[in-house]
Amino acid sequence: MSFLSVRNVSKYYGPVAAVDSFGLDVEKGEFISLLGPSGCGKTTTLQMVAGLVRPSAGTIMMGERDITHLPPPQRELGVVFQSYALFPHMTVAENVSFGLEMRKVAKAERDRRVKDILALVHLLALADRYPREMSGGQRQRVAIARALVINPPVLLLDEPLSNLDAQLREEMQFELRRIQQVVGITTIMVTHDQSEALSISDRVVVMEQGRITQVDTPYELYERPRNPFISSFVGKSNFLAATAEHHAGGATISIGNTGITFQANDRPKGKHVSVFIRPEKLRLTAPSEGQIEGTVTSRYFMGNQWLVSAKTPAGTLSVAVQNFGAPPPPIGEKVGLVWRNDDCRVLAAGAAE
Amino acid sequence: MQRNGPVALIFHSLVVAFMLAPMVVVCLVAFTPENTLTMPWNSLSLRWFEAVFEHADFMASFWNSVRLALLSATISTFLAVPAALAITRYEFRGRDALNALFLSPLIIPHLVLGVAFLRLFSLMGATGSFAWLVATHAIVVSPYTLRLILASLTSMDRNAENAARTLGAGEWTVFCRITMPLLLPGISGGWLLAFINSFDELTMSIFVTSPSTVTLPVRMYMYASESIDPMMAAVSALMIAVATVTMIVLDRMFGLDRLLVGKG
Ligand SMILES: Nc1ncnc2c1ncn2[C@@H]1O[C@H](COP(=O)(O)OP(=O)(O)OP(=O)(O)O)[C@@H](O)[C@H]1O
Ligand SMILES: [Mg+2]
Repeated sequence: MSFLSVRNVSKYYGPVAAVDSFGLDVEKGEFISLLGPSGCGKTTTLQMVAGLVRPSAGTIMMGERDITHLPPPQRELGVVFQSYALFPHMTVAENVSFGLEMRKVAKAERDRRVKDILALVHLLALADRYPREMSGGQRQRVAIARALVINPPVLLLDEPLSNLDAQLREEMQFELRRIQQVVGITTIMVTHDQSEALSISDRVVVMEQGRITQVDTPYELYERPRNPFISSFVGKSNFLAATAEHHAGGATISIGNTGITFQANDRPKGKHVSVFIRPEKLRLTAPSEGQIEGTVTSRYFMGNQWLVSAKTPAGTLSVAVQNFGAPPPPIGEKVGLVWRNDDCRVLAAGAAE
Repeated sequence: MQRNGPVALIFHSLVVAFMLAPMVVVCLVAFTPENTLTMPWNSLSLRWFEAVFEHADFMASFWNSVRLALLSATISTFLAVPAALAITRYEFRGRDALNALFLSPLIIPHLVLGVAFLRLFSLMGATGSFAWLVATHAIVVSPYTLRLILASLTSMDRNAENAARTLGAGEWTVFCRITMPLLLPGISGGWLLAFINSFDELTMSIFVTSPSTVTLPVRMYMYASESIDPMMAAVSALMIAVATVTMIVLDRMFGLDRLLVGKG
């Protein structure tokens, strides 16, 4: 019996399904990310777990208990809203203390816990400010503190870090993860930032148009995305049109216009397939030494790496080159591209190319 | 914002002057030492203000109006809060009708309302009762309270209430601790507007007041139809002062443009 179990939950707005048969079992202490493009139903899913949106179908279980129709106050979950939803007429300290008041925690104890949690999110100095007197990032941290302070068994975060600058964001990501692990709090976080999802989650749930399309550990998700959409949504990808000859042990893949063939273990449906390979799995060499030859068409410097595009007979390929040694060849130069066929994934040809 | 050209500027100044001039003149005339409505060119006097304060009927009417405005504004606020909540938050049959009903006193001429109430009260045998006068005023001012409360409800972040729920607050606690405080600007703004409107309502009140419940505007109307002396100017100046002070309070507390131009 898993700790939190969402079973076949759907939400219809009129005839349109905002969430369609969402099913997920979450273990105690697990950190789950809901990842997907805008409007795919992430917030709706989270709010159904929180009890703020009534599911049209399905059940939500917490251990042995069916909480599908339990009102939010009895669920005792910590929720961080996408819009923060701070109480504008209360100071930061009062906002954070609200949940403790509802739990009838004594004043002295309340003050101590509020102080501790505000220190944790680096907001102790602003305890007496009102939300309108703070920046977006600061408000977001108040919202996190307010949800954490009640020590909920489950934490539901709706894009909790979307408004922080890059550095604070990274700091808070690891901080969130640290708190989550120290307290052992089961967490579901909504995000549309793939790197955030990959870096701090135990498992990532990818949603498209109200449906789950893949649930996996970050590494598996990145290495073995189930469809072209996921492979381009999670990280960058190159797609090559190819054909597949199916046989008993797998398939023989021929990449279009190149004469390159290789054996694949993946078994996509149909004859026309997409071969996808990550930019960092390609390497540049001298023109004659590569599997394929190309001409550099653009070269961007990203700090830790270069992103080089090369036009080849199979299409334009992006190559990530570590910023190590001399810069990669300039635009117009002929290059060779090398990869291991094992690093190629073969997917049924999809729309997301 | 576009800058106004000189012609527009002159035009606007003239409009403002045209609107303000009568009030300025009335306030000045109130300080005349003469027995007629003349400008106090030579000396100022407070004798007409004294006259007002010594005039028992006027003072009785003044307090009558104050009581009436306080009560009707408060009653209409108590009705408008649940009505506004129902209108913005629930889908039910007759919702638009309820909304229209609450706003109808703005559209129906007060003269018609006055005649209708007069007829109704004489049928009921309730003519001249202060309680029924309060009821009529509560009806007439309710569009103001409802409008302002609706405006602050529609601009309110419902997730703040949801956040309180997830933190363990029951519905009643949410209402007292979150909803009401967030509605307060709308409620107090609506209340003040209702107060002002009740305080200077004349047309309908002429029909529904009795000798014992004469309001200040009705008293002035009756007095002015017999004789015009500078005491009328003094009373007017006092009323302008009351309205101005309320408006300033309103503006200080919430910002008038936000309340009256308001969102929603
Ligand atoms: N109250 C509602 N009435 C009708 N449709 C709704 C309602 N709430 C959400 N939807 C629709 O349901 C779908 C999912 O919305 P949701 O807010 O869950 O998306 P999301 O994944 O959180 O997007 P974002 O990343 O932009 O926050 C959207 O298409 C939205 O238009
Ligand atoms: Mg959302």
